[in-house]
Amino acid sequence: MSNINQKSLKNFISLLELLGISSILMLALAVLGLKNPYLMRVAILVGINIILVVALNLSNGFTGIFSLGHVGFMAIGAYTSSILTLTVATKSTNLPSLPIWLAHTQFGFLPALLIAGSLAALIALLIGFPLMRLSGNYVAVATLGFLVIIHIVLINWEQFTRGARTFSGVIQYTTLWWVYIWILITIYVVWRIVHSHYGRALLAVRDDPIAAQTMGVSILRSRLLAFVVSAFLSAVGGGLMAHFLTSFSPATFYFTATFNYIIILIIGGLGSISGSVLGATLVTLLTELLRNFEQSIRLYGLSQIILAAALVLIIIFYPKGLIGYREINWLQLLKLGSTKGTNNNSERR
Amino acid sequence: MKRLNLFFVVSLVLVITLLAGCAKKPAEANVIKIGGTYNLTGAMASLDVPASKGSKLAVKEINAAGGVLGKNIDYILYDGKTDSATNGSIATQLVNSDKVVAIVGNTDSDSALAIGPIAQKAGIPYLTAGATSPKLPDQVGSYMFLEPFGDNVQAAAGAEFMYNELNCKTAWLLWDKGTEYTTLLAKYWKERYEELGGKILLEDTYSQGDTDFSAQIARLRTLNPQPDGLYIAALQASDGGTIAKQLRDAGVIQPIVGGDGWDGPELVGVGGKAAENVYFTTHALANAERGTPKMKAFIEAYKKEYGAEPESAFAALGYDAIYLMADAIKRAGSTDSEAIRKALSETEGFQGITGTITYPPGKRVPQKSVTIIGIKNGQYTLAAEVTPEKIPEP
Repeated sequence: MSNINQKSLKNFISLLELLGISSILMLALAVLGLKNPYLMRVAILVGINIILVVALNLSNGFTGIFSLGHVGFMAIGAYTSSILTLTVATKSTNLPSLPIWLAHTQFGFLPALLIAGSLAALIALLIGFPLMRLSGNYVAVATLGFLVIIHIVLINWEQFTRGARTFSGVIQYTTLWWVYIWILITIYVVWRIVHSHYGRALLAVRDDPIAAQTMGVSILRSRLLAFVVSAFLSAVGGGLMAHFLTSFSPATFYFTATFNYIIILIIGGLGSISGSVLGATLVTLLTELLRNFEQSIRLYGLSQIILAAALVLIIIFYPKGLIGYREINWLQLLKLGSTKGTNNNSERR
Repeated sequence: MKRLNLFFVVSLVLVITLLAGCAKKPAEANVIKIGGTYNLTGAMASLDVPASKGSKLAVKEINAAGGVLGKNIDYILYDGKTDSATNGSIATQLVNSDKVVAIVGNTDSDSALAIGPIAQKAGIPYLTAGATSPKLPDQVGSYMFLEPFGDNVQAAAGAEFMYNELNCKTAWLLWDKGTEYTTLLAKYWKERYEELGGKILLEDTYSQGDTDFSAQIARLRTLNPQPDGLYIAALQASDGGTIAKQLRDAGVIQPIVGGDGWDGPELVGVGGKAAENVYFTTHALANAERGTPKMKAFIEAYKKEYGAEPESAFAALGYDAIYLMADAIKRAGSTDSEAIRKALSETEGFQGITGTITYPPGKRVPQKSVTIIGIKNGQYTLAAEVTPEKIPEP
């Protein structure tokens, strides 16, 4: 009994550590961004990427549904929240043929994000019923199909999306505060799910579906839960991104973005929340850093090459990603810095 | 130990980023800073790289001739990587870190819509060298200017040329529904062509990245009678070349007309002999033998600088855009952004190599004539210089 309590207490402390580290990270970026709007933009981008990658990790890392369709949920979130928050005047010029009830209403940012997330969750539920029965490569291909469908719908549903044309005039609501709060929510939710009995079921289903089924775990139910929650959070991330960019088109939410997030996820480590936070931060900062570097020596395109090479090296030397399946134990990490050789068996799974 | 390394790397990256962000270039009082925003890598590179080379050449020439207001121009060029988030970042850097007085760049509406609002908010004039959506100035605001004509103008020119000169009374319309540019171009063309009395027998679409057009061509072949001409709104010259080749292979010999996206060496390169009897509307004929004297001088200078002829008219647009901005700064008599905006909006009769630029009162899309190029024996030849009689509303 006391053992269990101790364990849950330890988990709780790890959660606090993770939230604390994210807070310190965001605070550091916020301080940098105070005087420099460019650094503020980078900070917000880091934050949004953290949300998106942690959400993606819930499905791809913890549950083993290797989804290539999450950018589709992002797109749903971006378009839904943007349509809802456009001013009535902008709607009449940019989207003249909206239905009347939609054309004359303007939502606040938070309700728009929640509606966008719920819509994505609903769609995830609908497509999840057939898709979550698939496994491995099949689910990757099927979710990729979902992404293509979303893309084609966005291009053709001109009444709501302006088709392929740039969707512009979105109000810039996204601030570092909004992003920060959603980071906390995302990490908290994903952490709680992973460390609940649902989470155990998810991990069991990922590692050995047959054994899990024998133990009475419903594969479909556990996968569906992860997929739906992850879709909700991805859509919120998409909404934050839309209100950060203020103009985007269906091409913004397609293959390039998909690969970008998958890469960050794999670099950070599938099945590690701290890995996702670290991966998103590193890759986003590194991308900007290299861009400024190539700018200073006028060798445009160099940053993409260096980044790609770095990815190859990381995959060679850290095949499970920087963090792997573990969580970073930050307190221990600090101790490790002062007294080398501390036993850290507890981190290994 | 491994983990310690990781921690070290993370801290190092953060510190370097901090330093990179804080590092300020020494302020030079004797230069005029103009920001440059082009997508030098990514999908837009085929248009943006020539345009950026044109811009850089113009800056070099102006500085060699003594600069503007006695100061040299410092053209700070950033790569937008054909990505909205990066484009937003570079605009923010130019406005806040580099403190430029104006921005010149871009050849597509997506990027212009990512950069425009940031320049608008900061009150810095932004002149796009090649984005042709006539809606841009209204979407972005009073600091957004177009250097080329709007798509409504070139679509109307294409429609009038097809109906009057090529005598095409019926047509087939194909457009790429994956981009803003092609969607608008097709819409404006259709409006003007039907207004003239032309009849569109069939409209068809494809998506960005398609390479097989057999389904569209099969539907075209079922038409009876066949259309007199074909209008195709494609994003890039390579798309145009591919479509023309497949059409000709299928035995379609009617004239084909396209927009300025077709302007590039890939059209003949990919299309080969199929590109005969193909016309497109563009900004200027960038040809050393058949261009205007000013154009010839530009091509000569471009060749000397880069060792090759301009890849497309976008090089000329990028070149003109810098001269237009320099002209506005000269007339403003100061580097104050508001004064430059005012001078730019009052531009009248500016002689560029892509045409004469005048901004009508209250408008920030110039009145310019449209060059129509036809392909004869694999060579670009001037087919017509058109000012459309009537232009569809943006």
